[in-house]
Amino acid sequence: MNRASFLSPAEPLIDPSITPAAVTDQISGIILRPPRPRLWLAGFAASFALMMVLLAGITWLFIRGVGIWGINVPIAWGFAIINFVWWIGIGHAGTFISAILFLLHQKWRTSINRFTEAMTLFAVACAGIYPLLHLGRPIYFYWLVPYPDTMGLWPQFRSPLVWDVFAVSTYATVSLVFWYVGLLPDLATMRDKARGLAARRAYGLLSLGWRNDGRHWAHYERLYVILAGLATPLVVSVHSIVGLDFAVAILPGWHSTVFPPYFVGGAIFSGFAMVMTLVIPLRAFFRLESLITARHLELMALVILATGWVVAYGYFSEFFTAWWNADEYDRFVGANRALGPYAPWFWLMLTCNILVPQLFWSRRMRRSLPVLFTAAILVNVGMWLERFVIVVTSLHRDFLPSAWGMYVPTFWDWATYAGTFGLFLSLLFLFVRVLPAIAMSEMRGLAAEAGRAR
Amino acid sequence: MNLRPPTPEFAEGASTWPGDLDRREFLRMMAASAALAGATGCARPARGLAPFVAQPAGPLPGTKVYFATAMLQEGFGRGILVESHEGRPTKIEGNPEHSESLGATDAITQAAILGLYDPDRSVAPLRGAELAAWTDFEEAWIARAALLSPRSGSGLALLTEPTTSPTLLRGIGRLLEKFPEAIWCQHTPLARYDLDGSQEDLAPGAASVIFSIGSDFLCSHPAALRYAREFTASRRQPAGAPSTPRLYALESSWSLTGSMADERLARSPERIRRLLDALSELFASGVLSGAGRSNPAAAQNGLELAETQFVEALARELTGSGTRALVVAGPEQPDEIRRWARAMNGRLGADGHTLRYVAPVRSDRAKGCRGDLGTFLDALASGKITDAVILGTNPGYTAGARQRAELARGLSSAAFSLHVGAYADESAALCQWHLPESHFLECWSDALGYDGSALIQQPLIEPMHLTRSAAEIIGFLATAEARPSLEWVRETWSARMPAHDFDDRWRGWLNRGVIDPFPASEPVSRRPADSLSKLAGHAPETDASDSNSFTLLFRADPHLADGRWANNGWLQELPQPFTSLVWDQALLISPEDASRIGLSDGSVVVVEVESRSLRIPVWSVPGHAGGCAVLFLGGGRSRAGSVGTGRGADAYYLRTPAAAWESARATVRPTGEIKELTSTQHHFRMEGRSPVRVVYGDAGIRANPSTDSPARAASLYPEWPGSRPAWGMSIDLASCLGCSACVIACQAENNTPVVGPEQVARGREMHWIRIDRYFEEISGRTVALSQPVPCMHCENAPCELVCPVGATVHSQEGLNEMVYNRCVGTRYCSNNCPYKVRRFNFFDFRTPSGSPLHLQENPDVTVRARGVMEKCSYCVQRIEEVRIVAEREKRPIGRGEIRTACQQACPAEAIVFGDISDPQSLVSQRKRMPGDYALLGELNTRPRTTYLPKVFRPAHVLTLAASPV
Repeated sequence: MNRASFLSPAEPLIDPSITPAAVTDQISGIILRPPRPRLWLAGFAASFALMMVLLAGITWLFIRGVGIWGINVPIAWGFAIINFVWWIGIGHAGTFISAILFLLHQKWRTSINRFTEAMTLFAVACAGIYPLLHLGRPIYFYWLVPYPDTMGLWPQFRSPLVWDVFAVSTYATVSLVFWYVGLLPDLATMRDKARGLAARRAYGLLSLGWRNDGRHWAHYERLYVILAGLATPLVVSVHSIVGLDFAVAILPGWHSTVFPPYFVGGAIFSGFAMVMTLVIPLRAFFRLESLITARHLELMALVILATGWVVAYGYFSEFFTAWWNADEYDRFVGANRALGPYAPWFWLMLTCNILVPQLFWSRRMRRSLPVLFTAAILVNVGMWLERFVIVVTSLHRDFLPSAWGMYVPTFWDWATYAGTFGLFLSLLFLFVRVLPAIAMSEMRGLAAEAGRAR
Repeated sequence: MNLRPPTPEFAEGASTWPGDLDRREFLRMMAASAALAGATGCARPARGLAPFVAQPAGPLPGTKVYFATAMLQEGFGRGILVESHEGRPTKIEGNPEHSESLGATDAITQAAILGLYDPDRSVAPLRGAELAAWTDFEEAWIARAALLSPRSGSGLALLTEPTTSPTLLRGIGRLLEKFPEAIWCQHTPLARYDLDGSQEDLAPGAASVIFSIGSDFLCSHPAALRYAREFTASRRQPAGAPSTPRLYALESSWSLTGSMADERLARSPERIRRLLDALSELFASGVLSGAGRSNPAAAQNGLELAETQFVEALARELTGSGTRALVVAGPEQPDEIRRWARAMNGRLGADGHTLRYVAPVRSDRAKGCRGDLGTFLDALASGKITDAVILGTNPGYTAGARQRAELARGLSSAAFSLHVGAYADESAALCQWHLPESHFLECWSDALGYDGSALIQQPLIEPMHLTRSAAEIIGFLATAEARPSLEWVRETWSARMPAHDFDDRWRGWLNRGVIDPFPASEPVSRRPADSLSKLAGHAPETDASDSNSFTLLFRADPHLADGRWANNGWLQELPQPFTSLVWDQALLISPEDASRIGLSDGSVVVVEVESRSLRIPVWSVPGHAGGCAVLFLGGGRSRAGSVGTGRGADAYYLRTPAAAWESARATVRPTGEIKELTSTQHHFRMEGRSPVRVVYGDAGIRANPSTDSPARAASLYPEWPGSRPAWGMSIDLASCLGCSACVIACQAENNTPVVGPEQVARGREMHWIRIDRYFEEISGRTVALSQPVPCMHCENAPCELVCPVGATVHSQEGLNEMVYNRCVGTRYCSNNCPYKVRRFNFFDFRTPSGSPLHLQENPDVTVRARGVMEKCSYCVQRIEEVRIVAEREKRPIGRGEIRTACQQACPAEAIVFGDISDPQSLVSQRKRMPGDYALLGELNTRPRTTYLPKVFRPAHVLTLAASPV
């Protein structure tokens, strides 16, 4: 198979006929002249209702305690941690696309980076509430933060949960700043195009006095590169540390040095799958096919295929290490995952995460929207199952057979999980309605480039 | 309980303002109110209760005081010490001065303190369902007595429990003196320990071979604490010591004694008779002198190879041991088997060496007693009984189906019926009157131990409710005079042991709890016959043609006994031996029978005996004999209280007096339904991991590689500096009986909550020490292993490493400490604990405020809030308490001065705690013994708690040693 036949012929990343002005019109038009407002409202209302389920779940949780979930001894971590890792994994695609692909001069990122960065922030928001909710005494969450208190108490720095606090909060902050800085020129555009006084004021305030000055652009681009440089190690560090949350434990099935790289690979894998899941309907809904082209989707499919292999290697490595180190507990965990009571979940995970991406070897599959969409959803399911398998099957049968147990999620587990989708989607619906979902300034650059080439 | 709300304090309308109130009326009311406000309220008359008999100083706030008293179980007394905080009893310990306690307790004794504060206790007399005053009852009784006296009590029937209390028996005697024609009967649904006018008292420590026939003398017996202490002490002797008794057990289902056996066969009751007959034949044929391995006599009996080996080895050892042999048949065994055991002991000459026969201590055959419940019911049915009194027993529940109906009928036709008990239970519902009986910590009484030793039961607290003691009530019935129980008890003893310095001696008895000197029970000179009668013909054969036909065995529930402890949350939530079931009961069958009928654990079956049927889930237990099923008494109560009502199945319904313990021809039919039984353990195999190490024979102990426990593998973190003292624990699995006394002792000491069946089903039980149970197949035999697992207090504690807030930290002295205030509840420590001994407050498990159960709580231990992790602390409050005293006295902490709650309760002395930096301490000595190992020591957690292996000394050690273990 030569390269030409595998990859699609280099086609433009943007419809070559489109002009910079048309780009601005089309993207800002989504906000200024919202298409299909009723459909948007219906979608937002549904998401908002789901977010209220989250509110109910949290309220009940605070009233009764974490016992409303299915956790127990030995499985003291359940959906909260599974969902935390899953959401934070999804949050990886945005920064990966914005920062790493930017530094690598991958221009195809331009059409999707704004949207995926927003997705990152919202996913991190969903992820971020779980570690707080899962605490037995959530009001004392701030004890994990180092602050000078009167009793001279500090966090226990050997615990990876403390590292987690730093990793996630840094990641959230840098992602937010990066996203906001990238938004500045577009906010100025919106200020100039908005009709209402309030909207003009709001966009004007947020655009920090951007006047499209040459010096502004010089500073802006320098800052953007610096932030991309700052964000790049964070992409690796956050999920590495989330991986260490498990790897530092002595629990068979967690205690594994492969966890950090394997978690990062898995995070990008699931992040791209989520981008795909969201972009396909978005692009159809707002008729953005000329800006987010089939080429974009294909390239994302290739990233999924590649990172899918990283994940597969992680699985293989875990089993290999268990066999090779001849530790009876490690071996048992492997056997128990494949054959124990949670075996169906394990095999479904393998199917979703390893078999399904192999479709993308075929160009026809990479360009078929239904296949892309279905595969992306399956990868998301598979990655959720992966976290379930890691958390639950390792804990439920560890060292002493007398202490073995089972984990059955409760209604409130599912409700809280569903509720975070409500939060995520509500934020996304609001985002596409009030901020340009595609970076106009960058797309104008692409269009101008394409125009020059024409 | 069906109590109506108490009579309102204020008359109806008292709080509403009258509409037509004029000025004069108003002033009059105000004057009356003001006058009444100055008057003090009514108080119960002071009765001069002064438990601080021998205390030099008055009650010191914040200081706990111990008082010696007694507790009765099955009528037999056991000496206890009760911890009291400012007048509030909080914990029961054994009384080391008493020969039937030796400082130890069992699980039920530990849990009895909870009953004192049970909100469901009966609080006042009831007439029908209405609350009444004691004076109402007194008037009613005086009226009845006036009718009874002229006819010398004819028409009065009294039903009590068999008891040893001299005062209570004196009271009954007084009643019978006053009403000579009255009928006194005694009823217990549990075992009778006397047979043919004597009871046997064992000396298991003196035996070199013990043969137990369906007996649980180490765990469920009035003298079990003493037997267990003696037995395990002699088993712990260094290898090669002359007397390390070998225990043979022949039983149908697991008993904890059976799980200690070196050789055990599980056979159905019919088969047990065949095997005993084979044993008799071996003795008769006199072939025992020959050392031949296969015996033609046995082979002719059609015995299996394992049975032949068992019988032959046993016969050889019994004859070889002679006077140092001991044969014990359980009190639930049929009389012919118990007589067979006595005859065998007689033949072997064991009588007087490893056991002795004494006059029965309990009143089962007391003078004046006319019979049992059957006699009582016959009298009721005859219509001659006008006045029925039921005292301290609950036949409305513990009688069989037909007897219950007869009782209800008989009592409804009686002119006067009275029930006396601590709860308004099933029997109370059948009687016109119910009188509340005081808890044993609230009243004076006395008791005898199984060995005849005498105890004074002194109260620690004034009655919390309007209750009276049984002695007071029976005294009132006899004399129509309400005298306090203290007077009754003193009168009994001043008559029995007259002395000029009686008051001084009395104070001495109260101080120690034991009446001393007191003549021990006299040996009975009459020796039982030593002819070994044939047994096989006695048992009705089960219907072999029906595959659903079983022999049904009734046994007392290991924790609820006859059902009287059903309302005790600690005991309901205490995992049952061999099944780890809580809050429910199951029919125990063998796995082979289960798969034959197609049943899995929790399958609901209908057990049918003589057209009466009972629905109950089954649970299969490896090592259970085929063809028989065990049904525990004590469940399915209808009026136990808010905790116990409706838990388990009512086995009494299937029971008849004729087949009280064994009922052939029961059928077990599946219903296809499944009930989720709640068990704290879900996996009973060791999976080749050997958390319990097992060694065979003395050679096995010596061959076992010594102390591999402190595997000093490298660690990333620096070593803890050595400190003195360094606390550690050793648990001897060879001694541990698996009786769970430690679990309840820990719960009582450490304010561990009860979480209820739903939470246990979700894996949220809170016990700080648990008993792990495993079944292993070794050389074709099933052994059951018990392992107490508290926090290991690892030196390299995995939990400490992962706590983000430092809520679990290491102390200088090696304790792994939990700082509840600092815990935010990430639960990472539990995930990282390889022993899974950490417990989390998933909900607010604290006792609701306002409940009297709060009074039981140990003020030295924090009650944990919601969302906080907790675990075994090595009873740090006890360590600190001793440390404070030692520092005040400017001395080091004494050797063995600190004992953890689990250690203190353990009858087998399996748990030893102490300073491991002191080479002379008991714990250091234990840890130096061969075979000492750390649980999961390969993880380099360096636990401070280590184990000594389980030891079996089977007869066929050579064949076993050759087989892979």
